[in-house]
Amino acid sequence: MNELAIVFRAELLRKLRSRLFWIATAGGMFAIALLIEAPLFFGSIAESSASDVLLAGPPALVARAKTLMERKKDYKIVATVAALPPHVTAAYLAAHGKAGAAVALAVRDGRLHLDVYPRDLSAFDGAQFRDLVPLNIELVTGVASARVDRALTLDRTIHPIGEKFADTRTAALAHGVAFGMVFILYLAIIIASQSVMSAVAEEKTSRIAEILISTIAPADLLAGKVLAAAVIAIVQVGCWLATAAALVPFAASSQLFTSTPLGPGGATPAALGIDPLLALYFIAFFILGYLQYATVYAAAASLISRTEDLGSVTTPVILPVVGAFFVAQYALVEPNAPLVVICSFVPFLSPFVMFTRVAISVVPWWQPLAALAIDAATVWLCFVGAGRVYRVGMLLYGKLPSAKQILAALRA
Amino acid sequence: MLVVDRIARSFGNVSAVRDVSFTVERGSVFGLLGPNGAGKTTTMRTILGIYAPDAGRITWDGAPIDLGVRRRFGYLPEERGLYGKMKVREQIVYFGRLHGVPASVATRRAGAWLDALGIAGYADRPCGELSKGNQQKVQLACAVVHEPELLVLDEPFSGLDPVNAETMLACLRELAARGTTLVLSSHQMFQIEHACRAFCIVAAGTVRANGTLAELRATFPTRTLRVSPDVPAIRAVFASAGAGEPSFDEDAGELLYELPRETDFGALLRAAVAAGPLQTFERREPTLSAIYLRAIGGAVPEDRR
Repeated sequence: MNELAIVFRAELLRKLRSRLFWIATAGGMFAIALLIEAPLFFGSIAESSASDVLLAGPPALVARAKTLMERKKDYKIVATVAALPPHVTAAYLAAHGKAGAAVALAVRDGRLHLDVYPRDLSAFDGAQFRDLVPLNIELVTGVASARVDRALTLDRTIHPIGEKFADTRTAALAHGVAFGMVFILYLAIIIASQSVMSAVAEEKTSRIAEILISTIAPADLLAGKVLAAAVIAIVQVGCWLATAAALVPFAASSQLFTSTPLGPGGATPAALGIDPLLALYFIAFFILGYLQYATVYAAAASLISRTEDLGSVTTPVILPVVGAFFVAQYALVEPNAPLVVICSFVPFLSPFVMFTRVAISVVPWWQPLAALAIDAATVWLCFVGAGRVYRVGMLLYGKLPSAKQILAALRA
Repeated sequence: MLVVDRIARSFGNVSAVRDVSFTVERGSVFGLLGPNGAGKTTTMRTILGIYAPDAGRITWDGAPIDLGVRRRFGYLPEERGLYGKMKVREQIVYFGRLHGVPASVATRRAGAWLDALGIAGYADRPCGELSKGNQQKVQLACAVVHEPELLVLDEPFSGLDPVNAETMLACLRELAARGTTLVLSSHQMFQIEHACRAFCIVAAGTVRANGTLAELRATFPTRTLRVSPDVPAIRAVFASAGAGEPSFDEDAGELLYELPRETDFGALLRAAVAAGPLQTFERREPTLSAIYLRAIGGAVPEDRR
């Protein structure tokens, strides 16, 4: 145990002194800040937005259309004019409230007719201006648009029963938060596991391993490395989450994750769908997921003789984590699809998939606990198996060992 | 005392060590010799517990070698390995700590070894910045900082220039003088002959010869006799004694006879003196190199090498 602590301490110091660690940590914080703030920043400096509309037409028609379009805050009417020039140009739109589109309203054959001049065709959606349908119905049928609008809108009240989210807005926010947390989980596991991999590869290729294994048990050596990298990863993730926590409240109240802003309470953790239990699940799934990947990565790295060979063992072991990330993306959309539910119990996948399910949907209480138990058992198996491969692999030089040799090591 | 008793170790279909036995007295310097692929490194790694033997056993002072015993051993592998970015002193202390030495003691000893090896000026520099020779000195300090009872050195002189090789040799002598038991392998016959008290020559995973230099010499079947001048009368004396055709050392102008060790060299000397003006009559004991070459199956007369 003492040797494990010595290896742990040495590895921790080596990594903390590594420039790469600080660059990755600071770079991650910067990237998160950018991710959160960039939409607001670019929104503020954007020349125009497709939802900023210049309305043209008879004043009475324009006034009624303006009321309908601004009611749901889907549009912002930046200017109104009686008529558009024969040729609408970008300069004209810029001169009229930096509008993203000009819409000329007219009544033809008793129907509402729109001549739309979008500045950016890629941002133009044919289904837009649906808010003006009541006006069209009024013109065709003579029924006042206010009545039409009442007829088109269902009177509904959502009564949250308190099991997961307080309201639909919070539920929508939880998707954004879950995506962010799964991404951080993915990034941290990849970075930390590869850090273990490169440390093992360094000891193997520089032949330090031979001396170390003659002194301490390979399992202690492996555990010391993996645990040190875990602490480093936790520090790193902590920095990233702290950055996110500091910036998200401002961003969230400015519509980062949903199209409707939060209420006066702002983006408190509860409002963002982050309850303490979810934070605990994040930590638990991160640690167990990391330990699974890190031990396998360490075993894989022990098989190479030269740093140049690292790529040949990286590809097979990186596929599960990439696959898990993609299944987690699917889980964000269909958290209770059969495939997702099955994957949420599969080792190596469950840290991502089960966490996503827990974050955004109602999951029976036993399922995350069962997944954690399976992950813990997998971690134990990984340590035993990786320890055996590591012990044999660290002393094998030359070509990569065959699958038969690796299996023999696992049985040893 | 280290006892290696009939150990064997295979890797798949390859038998690296088939049957190796030897004994190393405490405080002695023991040389493990053999050609490349003979099984020396595997034997050393098995002593250190890196490999478990397939058969046989190894004991240190009568006890099997477990992790606790291994921590009292030191190891200098053939392929040197250091953390390139770790500072020299820190690295030595780290290896000391892994062997159970308290940090303060390891730091003090690291300083002493850095002084002894003449690399104190590099104490706070990353190992990767040092020359190969200096890195090897650091490696030695890492191997001995915990004052091991047994130090195993695999090719300690490999890649060293004569000056650094001499420094290494001096350090080994110093360690031996302090009572450290040394087991080393080397292809530098001259250095190992002078450094070791006993030897084991292995080839193809089996022991070919084993013992002190005196014991090995005692079993060597021939002796080399250097004789001059090269005159017919002298040659006739040796021909009549049944000696074969001599070789000739052109540099020294001397005849070289390979004679059975039981030869009555006194009688031969008297006959040679009587035959003519004898200038040189020198019986030479076989060198370790000659013993080694003969043991591994490629023996040639020593002075022809």
